[in-house]
Amino acid sequence: MPTLSFAGLHYTYPEAASRALDGVDLEIDFGLTLLTGASGSGKSTLLRVCNGLIPHFHGGVIGGSARVLDRDVIRTPTRELARDVGFVFQDPELQAVYPSVERDVAFGLENLGVARGEMLRRVGDALEMCGIVHLRSRAVGTLSGGERQRLALAGVLAMRPRLLVLDEPLSQLDPEGSAALLGALHAAVQGGTMALVAEHRHHLVLERADRCLLMAGGRVTPCAPDGPVQPAPARARQDAPASSELSWRLHQVTAGPAGVAVLHDLDLAGGTGEVVALTGANGSGKTTLLRTIAGLLPPLAGSVERRPGRIAYLPQNPSALLHRATVRTEIDWTLRRTHAAGRADAMLEEMGLAAVAERDPRDLSSGQRQRVALAAVLAGDPSLVLLDEPTRGMDDAARTALTAALARVAERGGSAVLATHDPQLVAAAATRVVDLGDGVARVRRPLVEAVR
Amino acid sequence: MSTRSLAAWSASGLVIALSTNNPVYRVVVLLCALNLLLARGRRGSGTRILLVGIGIACLIATLLTLLLSHTGQHVLVRLPAGIPAIGGPLTLEALAFGLATGLGIAAALLAVAPLTLVSQPHELVDALPSPLARTGAALGAALNLIPGTLRSAAEIREAQRMRGWRARRVADWPAVAVPVVLTAIEGSMTLAEAMESRAYGTSARTHFSIQRWAPYDTLVSVTALLGVAGFLALVATGGAPGWFPFPALSAPAISVPALLCCALLVVPSLRVWH
Repeated sequence: MPTLSFAGLHYTYPEAASRALDGVDLEIDFGLTLLTGASGSGKSTLLRVCNGLIPHFHGGVIGGSARVLDRDVIRTPTRELARDVGFVFQDPELQAVYPSVERDVAFGLENLGVARGEMLRRVGDALEMCGIVHLRSRAVGTLSGGERQRLALAGVLAMRPRLLVLDEPLSQLDPEGSAALLGALHAAVQGGTMALVAEHRHHLVLERADRCLLMAGGRVTPCAPDGPVQPAPARARQDAPASSELSWRLHQVTAGPAGVAVLHDLDLAGGTGEVVALTGANGSGKTTLLRTIAGLLPPLAGSVERRPGRIAYLPQNPSALLHRATVRTEIDWTLRRTHAAGRADAMLEEMGLAAVAERDPRDLSSGQRQRVALAAVLAGDPSLVLLDEPTRGMDDAARTALTAALARVAERGGSAVLATHDPQLVAAAATRVVDLGDGVARVRRPLVEAVR
Repeated sequence: MSTRSLAAWSASGLVIALSTNNPVYRVVVLLCALNLLLARGRRGSGTRILLVGIGIACLIATLLTLLLSHTGQHVLVRLPAGIPAIGGPLTLEALAFGLATGLGIAAALLAVAPLTLVSQPHELVDALPSPLARTGAALGAALNLIPGTLRSAAEIREAQRMRGWRARRVADWPAVAVPVVLTAIEGSMTLAEAMESRAYGTSARTHFSIQRWAPYDTLVSVTALLGVAGFLALVATGGAPGWFPFPALSAPAISVPALLCCALLVVPSLRVWH
């Protein structure tokens, strides 16, 4: 009997007009399975069927057959399936139940009624497997994104699941955090756990995957033998225009939130027509730098210069922007507020959102939301564009659209600064890469070297 | 110190502070609570903010009583009678009664403050009796969402500002309020999904951290409960007289047995200082 077996599975969300899953036939028995597909193709929905969150938590109409570890998902509550199916969500900030690491890992075991001695042993094992034993006594609020995601995995592994389901687990992690999480995942799979991972940054998972599946239009098909297509960078600029004028400049800037310096004595500048990529580990100060350039965070010392004009700023969490009833009105709102010329239609087309223009942005998938948020900030021809992790949860097509939009900003004489972990975006869009580490912009490498 | 013995101590202090208007007993409760907070309060737990808040509450209570109660023999100052509500004599008795009221508020708040400033929130949840354990876990998780929601509110305000938002009139606020509320709801939905996915509600819960009940906890609980029981008995039999400063200010009567009952609350601090 396969570990996971779906036959003719279809599902429609409450009040939705069309099916999110439309006849999924799938049998998986062992190893690591990578699930890819465009934003909104139904990956998260399929994963949520594996542990019964769909239909038991979300409601809606489900049909066909869904069996996991010989249990009928449609008739078994999630909390029962949780004994054998572990689930790690995309956002590491929203999964911790308790404020301390050790307690949080133990939460699932407490729910299962595991005796304390056994609990202590399993918590220790899970922390070790995820490489976070040293964080055992730390407060969850002090962890970086990568550490939090490994904590979420440890909390699930402590329950010793037979099937592990991960929804975009790498989308917010730096390369080091991603490698550590994948290492822990690989160890679990080697130990006999079956894993199903949905991930847009599929190149990171693919080399360790036993199989690859492609989700499109609510259906699943096997990927090509060599994995999903890796699009070539849409555009790779090596140099800023020779005639570029100063767009922004930090002079001897020390900055940080709540009066605590994260960046020290920074001298940095960007010219018109330039796209600067800020890279560095989680917590290295990329967001602080963006907020300082934007004027949202006054520097503790030093000065900031900006060329006059509108500044577009995309925060890490795209939901921070979305408050209108439709995607179109969300873009219109920016145009109206900034007294900018232009129409929403052009931006909808550019970002590939025309098909969802009349939908509520919060009903869209996380990747689509990210695109709506980008369209909302980029509307109205801003002169300086500051984007914090703009490709979080984005598929390849959306990344290509973003790259093209940034190219247009640069060609128009604007400039952009991106804080990102995404090497594909850096390769495609950046004219310069600035590495942040220990609060200092130590290296300003030419693009080719940075990507290498 | 076990959270349950701390809870017994807090309840005793609260009952004493609320069951008398005699400022002497309230002062004893307040000093015992303050001593415990200073000795055992967690670093960064907000003790200073609490003390400032209590000071402001006391000041407001004193001022209101002074300005609104125009009785008493010793007039300090007379406000013009034409001023609504506060016009008339302001008396020493009203000032004293206001101070005693503020003292009662301070003693009551400080008595329960150790529950959050000495214990961790999850220790409180763990201390709940078994039938409430599941509810307690949900409550603890909900408390965990608060810092994230505050961060998200600040982030949303910043992001909308960069899109041209300005808070000029009431109609401008939905651009910030709607995403804050929706983000908080989505955050709680995700947390609920995460909890359900980790078998929340499956069976009888066990606890990772066991709060050990030491002989010292018995001592703290027994002395606190004896203190409150004795004090209530004295109040009921007239052995712990209250205090009323009107019409003429007088010194509060002091009953040594009642004072000793209140002083039993000092037990947890004694061990720490020792």
